[in-house]
Amino acid sequence: MTPSVQYHCPCLASAPVPPPPHLPSSSYSFHPLHTLFFCEECDAIRCNRCVSVEVSTYYCPNCLFEVPSASVRAEKNRCARNCFMCPNCRNTLTVVASDPPDTGDGRLTVPVSTVGEPPFYLYCNHCRWDSAEVGIVFEKPTGLAAQLQRYEDSAPDSLEFDRLKEHFEPFLRAASLPSSLSSSMAHPGSVVHPSSAAHSHHLHSSSITAAASAALARDIPGVGKYTPSLARSTSARAGRDRSVNKDEMAEYRSRLDITNASVVGGGGGDADVEFIKRVEKISSVASLEQRWGNSWATSLRTRDIRPQRIPLHSKRSKRCPVCTHILIKPEQKAQSVRYKIKLVAANYLPAITVALPHTFPTPETVKRGLGKPASASAANDRSNVALHPGESYSFHLALTNPLYDPIQVRLATPRVHATSSSSGTQEKARRPPFGVSIPTSTFTVAAFAEAWEYDEDEEMYWTDEEEFGGVGSNRGSRNKEGKSKAKAKSVGVLEKRANTTIVGGEVIIGKEARGRLKFIMLVQYTYRSDDPVPSESGEGGGADTKASTNKAPETKTFEFYTVIDLGEIIPTKLDGDPDG
Amino acid sequence: MDPPIYYSKAEFIETDTGNKVSRRATIAGPQNIILGGKTIIASGAIIRGDLRRSGPGHAVVISLGRYCLIGEGCIMRPPYKTYRGAFNYYPMKIGDHVHIGANSVVEAATIGNNVEIGKNCIIGKFTIIKDCAKIADNTIIPPNTVVPALALFAGSPGRFVEDLPESTQEIVEAYTKQYYTRFQPLDR
Repeated sequence: MTPSVQYHCPCLASAPVPPPPHLPSSSYSFHPLHTLFFCEECDAIRCNRCVSVEVSTYYCPNCLFEVPSASVRAEKNRCARNCFMCPNCRNTLTVVASDPPDTGDGRLTVPVSTVGEPPFYLYCNHCRWDSAEVGIVFEKPTGLAAQLQRYEDSAPDSLEFDRLKEHFEPFLRAASLPSSLSSSMAHPGSVVHPSSAAHSHHLHSSSITAAASAALARDIPGVGKYTPSLARSTSARAGRDRSVNKDEMAEYRSRLDITNASVVGGGGGDADVEFIKRVEKISSVASLEQRWGNSWATSLRTRDIRPQRIPLHSKRSKRCPVCTHILIKPEQKAQSVRYKIKLVAANYLPAITVALPHTFPTPETVKRGLGKPASASAANDRSNVALHPGESYSFHLALTNPLYDPIQVRLATPRVHATSSSSGTQEKARRPPFGVSIPTSTFTVAAFAEAWEYDEDEEMYWTDEEEFGGVGSNRGSRNKEGKSKAKAKSVGVLEKRANTTIVGGEVIIGKEARGRLKFIMLVQYTYRSDDPVPSESGEGGGADTKASTNKAPETKTFEFYTVIDLGEIIPTKLDGDPDG
Repeated sequence: MDPPIYYSKAEFIETDTGNKVSRRATIAGPQNIILGGKTIIASGAIIRGDLRRSGPGHAVVISLGRYCLIGEGCIMRPPYKTYRGAFNYYPMKIGDHVHIGANSVVEAATIGNNVEIGKNCIIGKFTIIKDCAKIADNTIIPPNTVVPALALFAGSPGRFVEDLPESTQEIVEAYTKQYYTRFQPLDR
């Protein structure tokens, strides 16, 4: 496990301080930088857990056909062309033709038709299942879904679903009409405002759920009556009466009685018991994985499972949950990887990588490794990655600036361990099992220039002290400044090249330390702001951003938390020994 | 920041466009193979450029883009089938920034840009892998599979696991470029 850095998204936390990293639940608050977004409007980090998501395109993952959203519902969210999933292994099925008729002379004939001989089968390239096993053959190799339409339409689940839809249809029509009217009345002249759309949708769905709960609450002989907690209040009688009057729902009668469903191949019941009694091979019973993709309880027999059309995938656009500004808007074309709008955190926050220099292979060890053939990779492996208690290690943090202006960075390691109230008293009393020292003074990370400028000259970097002496940095907590040899210094700015600055830190691991070596690091950076007035930035994004008033008016400071994971602390072999 | 990956200078041939090809790799039919530049072919890899379409004239069998890596012990073999009674090989096209992990067997028809293929994978015949997709280690992709853009596939048979983040293209591009610069010769 190589050391890693994850960034904190404050969406789950009530306080701006992140949870202590040794709690397992804290992993929900920390994310790799490349999965995060950045809302310019709120000046805040957003993650996949907090953004609101909308579907922008539907497509089939196999034939890559972009399905218009109008037909997605009609086609039941599955590909309506030639794409089927193997019922056995869920691989994509291919259409194969029958063998050409045998001419009798023992030689293969050259097929005349380009598509092959009918009948056609669906065939799995992985598990060799073929659709003839379940009696599905096709006259022509195109439009297979249409050819299978009659099977699908006569399936008990789709019949039942159609019946349900039919049952709710008049009610839905009645319910959707006034609500959409009222919402458009409420915002006269306004074009589709997200909140109004959401509002009308909410109304719509609430009346559907009311109807559904009314249907659920009806009396079923032999089943205890379900009363929603709302109805148990004093106004229960009136509320129920009103809803009944308003909805006018007739009682729904299912097409199929559940008590005899197993007779016709549904789930459960005596038919399945009979089948299980006679099972000879385990493979003849369909596994849960093979069955649970179906919307209806299916037969337990493997040979009864039918191929299903492939479910559609979608491309999604993402919005900031606070200001509803779009953060991600993909291009319409399904297989394009470009975006019309892409506000990812990697373009705003400095990228941090962490490395433990003692795990790097030295040229000497590699040389030894290269002597033996085919072991070059083994020599390049980071074999010595273990951290041992009672030792101290230096680590490198590389900060890369994505902005076109230089930034001033300040690092800090707040003691989240000690202040956390949730982790109990004994946790509080104990000293943190390791101590981390990182440079606490401000240092500069140079501006990002266009990629072509660095493309060829990766070798050109400078460790000249004078280059960054002017910043007034290097007053690290463990002061080793003034050393003429850069090698001896382990805490402080080590190296600057292009838009990356490498700083060194040190960690001292206590003798009793166990588990993963993780600590929180607060990163503060000051950049030149394009906004002349950074006054309202504090309101939208919460507490993690503030306009710096004591500095030049054009600079802004942003701060965020990261968790640095240096790896597992592995007890040394002499662990039983009292000396450690 | 990552340490260099050293290789023995004697083992690799570097071309004018920066391709680094191991002398221990088996390159069959090199006249039918195109390397885009800055592509690394590690030792023990087998690239079958000799399996060309029948018929006269020059044919490109395998084309690789820039900043690709063919890992150690990989086998790159063009896909083949019998179509209308005639057996034939079909060309394999691989885009830029494609890394293929060690000991994988690739018979894909098309691999897009910024694709990562893990170690010990088998990519079946005529597989189409779209841009920015990723195949996890030890995955078996059956023949004729289509891997859509920005999808992670894993398992046997390889199935869709999750959508990759929106910034995958930048990540993979940066990683492959960095890998090339880290790949440094070492004199003995």
